[in-house]
Amino acid sequence: MIAKRLTCLILLGLSACSTTEEQVVELLEQMAANPVDSPAYQQSINALAAIGRPAARQLIARLNPDLYLGENYREFRDEQEKLRIGCARALGYIKPRGATAALKDRISAAYTDRERIACLWAMGQVGYVQAGVDAAKAQLADADPIIRIHAAIALLKMDDERGTGEIEAALTGSDPELAQTALQGLAEASYFGVPLLVELNSRAGPHQSELRSVISKVKDQLIAQLAAEEPVHRQRAAQALGYIGDDTAATALADLLADPSNQVRFSTAAALATMGRSQGIDFLFAALRDTDSILRANAVKFLTRVQQQSGAVEGQLIAALNAEDPLARAGAAQVLGQAHVQSAASALLAATNDEIAAVRANAAIALGQIGDLQSRAQLEKLRRDSDSTVSYYAEWALGQLGSG
Amino acid sequence: MQNARYLLFVLLVLPPFAAPSRAGETPETLLIRQALANDISGYRRADAELTLKAYHPHFVAYQGHANGDPRAWTVLHENRDAFASQLAADLSAHRYEVTRSVPFIAVRASHAIATSVDSGRVVDRQTSQATSVVVHRFWTLLKEEDDWLATGMVAGLGDTLLPAAGAAPNGEIAELLQRESQAWESGSGILGFFDADFTGYDALGTFKPATYKIAFSGSEELEKWLDKRLPYVQYDLDRKVLHTAVGPAGDEALAVTREKVAVEHLKGPAKHHKERYVFWTLSRRTGSWKITNMVLDVGLAD
Repeated sequence: MIAKRLTCLILLGLSACSTTEEQVVELLEQMAANPVDSPAYQQSINALAAIGRPAARQLIARLNPDLYLGENYREFRDEQEKLRIGCARALGYIKPRGATAALKDRISAAYTDRERIACLWAMGQVGYVQAGVDAAKAQLADADPIIRIHAAIALLKMDDERGTGEIEAALTGSDPELAQTALQGLAEASYFGVPLLVELNSRAGPHQSELRSVISKVKDQLIAQLAAEEPVHRQRAAQALGYIGDDTAATALADLLADPSNQVRFSTAAALATMGRSQGIDFLFAALRDTDSILRANAVKFLTRVQQQSGAVEGQLIAALNAEDPLARAGAAQVLGQAHVQSAASALLAATNDEIAAVRANAAIALGQIGDLQSRAQLEKLRRDSDSTVSYYAEWALGQLGSG
Repeated sequence: MQNARYLLFVLLVLPPFAAPSRAGETPETLLIRQALANDISGYRRADAELTLKAYHPHFVAYQGHANGDPRAWTVLHENRDAFASQLAADLSAHRYEVTRSVPFIAVRASHAIATSVDSGRVVDRQTSQATSVVVHRFWTLLKEEDDWLATGMVAGLGDTLLPAAGAAPNGEIAELLQRESQAWESGSGILGFFDADFTGYDALGTFKPATYKIAFSGSEELEKWLDKRLPYVQYDLDRKVLHTAVGPAGDEALAVTREKVAVEHLKGPAKHHKERYVFWTLSRRTGSWKITNMVLDVGLAD
């Protein structure tokens, strides 16, 4: 809080008498004049981050070694290093997508470890850029495990799972620095790291209490992100909260069931349903009966995900095969098939006798997807169904069961 | 102007497959290659006029004595006329069957550096005795109007560091370089020590010119840097002059110094410092000694 106020005061002081470019120059000189990680150094980074995108061009330029010639000459390599680290960190806060092209060129062994780590961190903060993913992926082969763990975390933040093995190894290994870096990275990775966090927390390991603490911290961040301006952030935050399954998030999630975005509403309902909350389950089943085919398709998709993730809607899905509304019966059959719910085989077999052709067809498909051999005779019978769609899918399902 | 026409010819007339493919080639590097090609063509054709077209009136030649360490270097020719006299004598005594490759060129604005390797044989015109030659050279060039002209050349550049005794420092040069170091400490009067066409380099801790970066293209760029740098730092310089060599007419010189350089920042407690070797060339063609080249952080063994 005090640091933020100081940053604001510095910015106010600077802005009173200079252009943005001059402010950036002053802050860069402050950066060069103070040891890395000292309060004044961090203060210069915070102030540059507060200036934001107008500062980005000058910061990106200072990543390039060729800039330190001519009027920008700096004869001391450690001075250049200090500026490169600080500029990368400031860019990590500002997150301009265009920075990745310059950052990715500074993560090779030609640069110091501190420069590489700062640039990898900033790349992760900026988020997915294909060139960044490719460059970070190459660093997973580095001989130094510290570089590998930072590359893995950058990849995770860019929604790429290729570094998860490195993170798991860090948390099961004996190097406390690697473990700490992995925990910090997971804490910063927001919703991108949640599936891995939940997975790691479900296993026995030396860092379970720290993992629980990280999950709790991330959960709070995600609840805050439910109010984000961008629908995609609200959606991903809701999804991740569903993974975490913490009841304390339910109230905040419930508010999002009225979100203007379809994807946000369905992701929220799925998250609540995964937690066993009736609001979410009812929302999804109501959508399954909706006359709007897009809403029904979403309901099938999200109920399938809930069922696969938690099994929380299995009973309701089987019961829905006997629902009054044929749309609910057909949709339930679809979900049970896509989620491969073996225990639903006999109910689906019964549904192949439904008076509505769409229900019979979806039940046949589901039996094929589940691979229930007991259904062969009934599917043979359906091949001669009066409805050509039903007979077509009965044939398809038999093909799934094989010739045996 | 003639070079510009040549470039236009190369770009417009020659089919793409006829041009050798070189990564990073630019119009400027093509012009520099052409200037250095004219020089060697003049030798091959015994055409002194053609060779001299590539040379600046202020051209200075240094002798590297096959050593990468400039503490072994001396001044060979102090201007183009002195070089021209030697060239005329060489061309009348020898036939040059030599080809040239230019493996390295770096350009910054109107200043450039290059290395060349001449290989082939030199034939004595009287005895017809042939001698195989491989000569490594380091060139400094300046662009004037559309032409790149050689301002300096180290002949017999060595690719290893051999022993170098170093000459006892010339008092005048040593005193000038000490005054220059004091100017850094006082933060004023620095620019007055530099020639307008001065070139500054960062050798990045190596001795091979092919790794040099041109840091300053002229004193104007140095001035811009000083204007940006000096308000924020205080320099501390402890310089020792290790070697100087002055040309026969006393107009051109070179020097090597070893120094401890440190900067204290005014906006914080950080202090950056290092020890470095610096290679200098100096000229007094304008009356007083001025620095014409300054190569910072040359990688020399103690």
